[in-house]
Order: sequence, then C-alpha cells, then structure tokens
Amino acid sequence: MVLVEPLPAQSVGQGSFGRAAEGNVQRLSFTGSAGEYFGIWIVNILLTIITLGIYSAWAKVRRNRYFYGNTVLLGRGFEYHARGGQILIGRLIVFAYLVLYNVMLTFVPFVGIVLGVALLFLVPWLLTRGLRFSARVTSYRNVRFDFVGRAGGAFLAFIVGPVLAAITLGILAPLASRWTHRYIGSNLRYGGKSFSTNPSVGAIYRTWGISAAVIVLGLLIVGFIAFLNLAIVMTAVENPDLLPPEMQVSLGLLAALAYVLILAIFGTAALVYRAGVRNVAWSATTFDGKHRLLSDLSRPRYAWIAVSNFAVTLVTLGLMRPWAAVRMARYINEHTGVRFEASVGEIFSAIAQEGSAVGAEFMDMEGFDFGF
Amino acid sequence: MASEAASIAQGEWHPAGSSRSVPCRLVEDGGRLVVRDDARAELAGGSLSLVEISARVGRIPRRITFPDGSLFETGENDAVDRFLARKGRGRQGIVHWLEQFHPRLIAFVAATILLGVLVYRVALPALVELAVAVTPPIVPQIMSASTLETMDRTVLGPSKLDETIRSQILEGFRRIAAHSQGGEAAYTLNFREGGPVGPNAFALPDGTLILTDELVELAGGDTEMIVGVLAHEIGHVEHEHSLRQIYRAAGIAGLIMLFAGDIGSGAEDVLVQGSGLLALSYSRAAEAEADRHSVALMMRAGFDPTAIARFFELLETKLHDSSDTSIFSTHPGTPERRKAILDLVAAERRD
Repeated sequence: MVLVEPLPAQSVGQGSFGRAAEGNVQRLSFTGSAGEYFGIWIVNILLTIITLGIYSAWAKVRRNRYFYGNTVLLGRGFEYHARGGQILIGRLIVFAYLVLYNVMLTFVPFVGIVLGVALLFLVPWLLTRGLRFSARVTSYRNVRFDFVGRAGGAFLAFIVGPVLAAITLGILAPLASRWTHRYIGSNLRYGGKSFSTNPSVGAIYRTWGISAAVIVLGLLIVGFIAFLNLAIVMTAVENPDLLPPEMQVSLGLLAALAYVLILAIFGTAALVYRAGVRNVAWSATTFDGKHRLLSDLSRPRYAWIAVSNFAVTLVTLGLMRPWAAVRMARYINEHTGVRFEASVGEIFSAIAQEGSAVGAEFMDMEGFDFGF
Repeated sequence: MASEAASIAQGEWHPAGSSRSVPCRLVEDGGRLVVRDDARAELAGGSLSLVEISARVGRIPRRITFPDGSLFETGENDAVDRFLARKGRGRQGIVHWLEQFHPRLIAFVAATILLGVLVYRVALPALVELAVAVTPPIVPQIMSASTLETMDRTVLGPSKLDETIRSQILEGFRRIAAHSQGGEAAYTLNFREGGPVGPNAFALPDGTLILTDELVELAGGDTEMIVGVLAHEIGHVEHEHSLRQIYRAAGIAGLIMLFAGDIGSGAEDVLVQGSGLLALSYSRAAEAEADRHSVALMMRAGFDPTAIARFFELLETKLHDSSDTSIFSTHPGTPERRKAILDLVAAERRD
C-alpha cells in the first residue's frame, strides 16, 4: 500500500499567479459555475415553497455542499457534511424560542423582557454551538475542522464588541473586529492542530480610516446638496401648502435620493471596511504555528463586486442572484491563500483526525449560523 | 479471487480520519463495493447497503464512506450514477436531475414566481385568519391590559374632562356599542389626558377604548362627531385588525428568514424594507375598513353617519392635515377619507 500520495496539485499551484517570490503560496480557487448553481438555487427555492419551508434545511445542505465542494485548495475541494435533519431540528428549536419570545413580548411584556435578557446570555452560548457545528461539519482531505471557543469569549466578541462599537459611533469598531477575529481564528482547529490569529489594531485602524473618510466626505456632499436646497426645504417644513404641487413632487424625489445616497455611502464604507479587516485578520493567521494564511482583496474591487452584484440582482428580480453569488465566491477565493513552510505532501500525510473531535454527540443546534 | 470484479470509477481513498490519500479504483466484487489500489490489494469494502454514497450536487466529488470509516472520493459522478441506476437506486438522483441546467428550469422559475405570489396573496392571509380564529380570547385581554398599563405609566394622564361632557359622550357611545356585534358589554370607554399622544382615540383588541381630552376639546362640543370616531375604533376591534397585523408581520418575517441563505444579505434587506411598506398599505386598508364600519354603525344607531367626515374636515382646517396618501403613510390621506365616507353615505341613502 502506498499511503503517501504524490500530490499532483502541488506543482500546479506552486509559483502560479506570478508570485514566485512569496514562496510556496497556494491559492484557493472556485470551480463552480453560475449555470450549474442556478439549477440548484431555483430548485431549492421551489421545493422550499412546496414543502412549506421544511426543505429549507436540505436546501442549505445542497447550497453549502456546492460552495464548499467548489472551494479548491491544492486541487482538492472542501466538504460540508451537515444533514438536513440536523439543521431542521436546530431551526425548530430556535424558531420555537423566537415565537415564545415574541408572543410573550406582545402579550406579557414583563416575561418577554426577561426572556429577552435571557436571550442576551443564551446567544453567546448558541453562537459557540453554531460555530462548533459549522466547523465540525466541514472537512478538507477527509479531516474535519473543530471549534473550541467558549461562551465567555463569544460574549466579548459578539455582544460587548458590537455594543461598544455602536455607543462610540464606530470609533472603537476596530477593537470589536479584533476581538471577533481573534475569537474565531484562535479557536479553530484542523486535525488537532490549531489556528492562531492576532491582528494588530493599528492595521485595522488604517482600513477603518479609509471607511471613515468615505462617510465624512459622502455626508459633506449630501449636506452641501441639502444646503443648496435649504430655502425650499425650510418653506416645506413651515408652510407645506405654499409649495406648488410640482415642487412637492421634486422635494419628495430629493428626499428619496438623499435616502438612497446615504445608504450607498454607509454601504460602501462598510464593504471597504469588511474587505480591509479580512485582509488584516487572515494575513495575521497562522496554522500549526508556521503556515501563514493570506488574503489580498482589493478594497475598491470588492466593494464594486458587492454593489454591482446587488444592483444586478435587484434589476433582474433576483434571477441573477446565482451568478452574483458565484462571482463573489470566485473573487474571494482567488485572493485567499496559504503559505506552506514545508513540503505540502509531508504536511498533509501527517495530519490525522483527533479521535474525539467528531463524536456522535453533535448538538443539533444550528440556525444561529450568521455565516462567518 | 474467484468472482469477476467490475470496475466502477477511479478516485482516491483516505483511511478513516486521515488526510493521507491513495489513488485507487472502486470495483464491485460479488455484491460488495471494494476499493483496490494499483497493486489490486483491497483497502476497504462493504456490502452496498452498509456503504454510504453521498447525493450528487453539481460536479463536486462524490463521497463513498465505508463501514470502517474510510472514504473513497471520485469526480466520476456519471459513472457512480450509472452504477446506482443498475442497482435500482437511480431515484436517489432525482433532485440533481431537477437541478441540471435545462430549459425546464424556465418552467421552475415561472412556478416559483406563481407559487410565491400565491403564498403571499392566499396562503399568508389564510394562515393569518386561522391564527386569529384559534387565538383564545384571553390573549387579546392580557395584551390589552398590559398595553393600557404601560401607556398609563408612560404617556397618559388622568382625564380632566367635565362630568357632563363625559356622560354625554358615554351615552352616545353606549348607543352605538349596543348596535355592534359584541353588544354594549363588549366595550368599555376610558377617558385620559393624552399628553404627548395629543388629540387621539384608540382601541385595544379586547374592546377597551381610550379617548383623549385633547380630542374632545378639538371637537368643540360636537358629541356626535366623537361618537363617529369611537364607532371607527369599534370597527378596528370587530375586524381584529391588531391581531391580524401582528400575525402578518410574523408570517412575513418567517418567510424572509426561510430564504435568507438563497437570496443574499443585500436582497434580504430590501425585502425587509419592502415588507414594511406593504404592511403600511395593509394598515391603510384597515383604516378604510374601520371608516366604513363607522358609517354603518352610526346609521344603525340613528346618528348622522357623516359625523366622522366632519372630524376629518376639522383635521384639515385646524391641523392643516391635507396630505395625500403616499406609500409611506399609515393612514389614507385625510381629504381622501372624507370624500370616501361622503360617497358611501350618499350611496347608502340612495338604496
């Protein structure tokens, strides 16, 4: 028996993309196609409607199997192992709680508030279970991932962080991003070997600065336009009857335009920030203490793909959504890689599952999967 | 090896839980599925019923898991499908068959849109009706009691109305309540000082009505007009508008959540905002329904049915509310509502 494979893919990936100077960098690729995914997507939606929502769990499995399976590193795809039944149970549990919570909030506000506070403490725990589930149902080369984070870290990363970012009007958002990425990145395991992430706050602040500049500049432009129309706006506020009808219409259009413009400004800033943070966090991640991950998304390009995807999806009433999803997956994968510090063949022939990592004791708790 | 081995597909084999892999061949050997390496040595094997073959999704590699936990992976999906078809398990690939890029997908798109419209137009309202029908009366009672308590603690104050005006309004209110479906006992009227709520009247789903002093002042002694407004509020209670609105909102939120992964986060946001606008259109329809109810109730009780139209006139002149209906409003435009009521009364009188 030959148990060390020759790894034909290694030579394919090595030195490709004209980045030989980076060493043994292996980039991901995405091998799915929009046409193929369109079929999976429309059948997912159709069967979900026909089965009154029950199929949505199996739809998620097929969608994830397609995207994971086409995410290729060194010639091999990732695998998604969750079963529809597991996801359905998780969804039912979460759904039941949400129904109970909303019913209580409407009918007995006091009990509802108690349940809401309980939810605040339950959410971190649910998130860790969800992350653990997602990791354990993911494998690469027959070895599963695992997640060992605890609820305390999740509370800091997903409750304290966002609240802190919100009450400081986003000024401390980089700190929150750092906590989140450190929590996820340092608790991830693959074949018993750990990932470790420690992004520098300074680097995140540099990308945050660009987003902040986009927002300030955008709001100044909106403010300037509003100032030019100040006379009309003031008349409208004080004495709406004095305005001729055609003026009222154009004022309505102006308000709608301002709304869209402000959404676009904040949306673009958020996209630019997200891409920048991903670059910083992934590039600050190591596997097994030596192999470095890398992400080199171009912020403008990423924002452009997301915005144009959204516009195309809207204009085609959703029909181009599969194309948009595949386009985004391809761009992200092609700008993600791993720099291996040894022969890839040797690394992977040494990696084996830790016996206990995949037990039969899956918590069938899902649904709180926010798509990390 | 006595039996004839039929080759099924080429692929790679992993020992249980290991990332090592071996190029090999999947063969059928005497009713068993077996993985053999280049030297024809058996790496793993098991009877077909014990071996797990993953369902086909697009062109991603097929997983074949053996009872010992080892895994065979192959990209030769068609070969595996042909094998399964020979074993009478071809029906397992039915979803994949549906998903293939093919002109029939156009029919699926049409069916999806049609079903989507049906769900929104027929199934959702039907479910809302069902939920309203099975909701026990205690639910609106608890809901109303807690709402009134919350409002009393936060915005409303005790009424400072004159006792004679109060009894005049109460008398008129009893007369119309007696002509409602629930009868007089189903409704109670509470007087409050509105504070930040201002001139207003509203109904809680259990039949508790609240009238603010500010509205009575605004009416300037026109008790009949106030009774008309109260008849409108009774209409909201009889048509169970608030329960319906809650169930509708919950139903739409549930629908959007079901498709969350398939529609993308941007489109999800647009749908949530869009459903907000649609909820407003529903709320406008409810107002119009309550207006019609007021007209019918006032006629039955022997009052002037156009009294509520006088109220809208008052809103227009005193509060300068002459806004048109827009897709952003919760209520139909005031002039429009006044005209609708006068038209309805005229039509009723002609009959």
